[in-house]
Amino acid sequence: MTATAHDISAGRVFARTCAAEWTRLWSVRAGRWFAAAAAVVMVGIGTIAGSEADPTAVRSEPAWMASTVTAMPAQFALLALALTVVTSDYATGGIVPTLQWTPRRTLLGLARTAVAMTAATGLAVLLALASALAAYLAAGQALDLPWNAGLDALGTVALVVAGGSALAVGLGFLLRSTAGALVAVFLLMLVLPFLLPVFGYSWMSAVAAVLPGSGAAFLLIGEVPGMTTASSVTALLGWAGGALLLGWLRLARDDANR
Amino acid sequence: MIEVRGLTKRYGDVLAVDDLSFDVAPGTVTGFLGPNGAGKSTTMRMVLGLDRPTSGTALVNGRPFASLAEPLREVGALLDPGSVHPGRTGRSHLRIAARSNGIPQRRVDEVIDQVGLGRAARRRIRGYSLGMRQRLGIAAALLGNPRVLLFDEPVNGLDLDGVRWIRGLLRRLADEGRTVLVSSHLLSEMQQTADRLVVIGRGRLIADATTEEILRGLGNGRVRVRSSRSEELLAGLRDRGLAATRTDVDELEIEDGTAHDVGEVANALRIPLHHLSDVAQSLEDAYLALTGSSVQFAGSEPVAEVAR
Repeated sequence: MTATAHDISAGRVFARTCAAEWTRLWSVRAGRWFAAAAAVVMVGIGTIAGSEADPTAVRSEPAWMASTVTAMPAQFALLALALTVVTSDYATGGIVPTLQWTPRRTLLGLARTAVAMTAATGLAVLLALASALAAYLAAGQALDLPWNAGLDALGTVALVVAGGSALAVGLGFLLRSTAGALVAVFLLMLVLPFLLPVFGYSWMSAVAAVLPGSGAAFLLIGEVPGMTTASSVTALLGWAGGALLLGWLRLARDDANR
Repeated sequence: MIEVRGLTKRYGDVLAVDDLSFDVAPGTVTGFLGPNGAGKSTTMRMVLGLDRPTSGTALVNGRPFASLAEPLREVGALLDPGSVHPGRTGRSHLRIAARSNGIPQRRVDEVIDQVGLGRAARRRIRGYSLGMRQRLGIAAALLGNPRVLLFDEPVNGLDLDGVRWIRGLLRRLADEGRTVLVSSHLLSEMQQTADRLVVIGRGRLIADATTEEILRGLGNGRVRVRSSRSEELLAGLRDRGLAATRTDVDELEIEDGTAHDVGEVANALRIPLHHLSDVAQSLEDAYLALTGSSVQFAGSEPVAEVAR
């Protein structure tokens, strides 16, 4: 029988919890399927875009366009990956053993958020790089690949997917339901930002402008009227922070899965 | 050691656990008994920090469970064996548990062998039977070699070999000086394995005593006596305030009495006896006597069809 477990630092517990969460994420097929879906979208569209680039254009476009443009649809696969890290534990009841192994809930929430965001953001950056390379190779001499523009593009993709995955994780902790959280993410990131301005009312456009999806769309494709970089970053990170705060409150205060 | 003090859990208007206090000592198997809806699982969940008590405290080795840095090294628990991701292999499930508590990965293989999961550990959990899921849950509970173990209905779904294995495991764990709390509806199982019983009904403590004391009816012994002059004996016993009833032509049963009392009465009246014994209760009898008024969800006997 073991002696009484000695006290260990919160940092060490956090590192162990992150390691466990990382194993948890990749030990089921769903995570790999979402990653594969994002890869197909980003590399596939990047290749097609590159092959259709105009070789006679006077000024070559940077291939990094493929990174940001393909990240727009592909982000949803990565957000779903981040979201299911949280909600699958509630759907299967796995939160019961999880909290028996890591009963410090704030620490569990931090580790799970860090792992989900790191996985989604890391994949997004790698796939954005792959997408640009695919476009460049498929285009022959029709596209450029300037590295300074590359850093901008990869940074933008990282920011958008990090913010979006934080929002998804927060909604996952808050709603504890895969379907509910997915619907909420799609509404906030895709449907409402594009639908509300269509009605033509100024207040609806104003509401759309503060939604995270408007911020993400402006940062990735830059074609959202009335948005600026500052307002886009504020909207995206504000929603992400708010969702994480509410999700943490539910995780920390409520019963495990009732 | 588990210490529960004034533990209360309310869900809206429903009082699931009501001011419950008891201790679970090391070196014994403590059975946790109660009818459906009595609050056993809720109590265990509160001990494990899964549900927040409305009031009261539950300490494990003197500390709230939620404050433990390496909980698997202190407390192992099996609650709901179905609460696992079906798409993960049993081995992956245990590897995650081990990682989260800094337990060496070789220990995963040890507990897999210990619970007899063997090669099934590399299969996805969705293909497991209930018994295999129970074994996986027990493997997770044993992973950190903890001093305190909680099992909620551990023999559910196990075959006879599995039941015997659990019986031996619980005994062995207690004999090693560990604290073992086991809830079960299988009272015969508890009769064989539990040294002590905590009985609850409608969230309240009904009894906290050794299994032997509860089998003796917590001091309310019963005596069976046979005599060819049972009518005279019945009258004599009642005259002396003993609650005697006839159970057969020549047989009486006396509540709240001892064989000594009955023998004295028979001797005073010079009535020959053919049989005199203390009645050993089954745990079922004792349990029903204790919880009879505390059953929350009871079925009803089918009403006989009226002849037409």
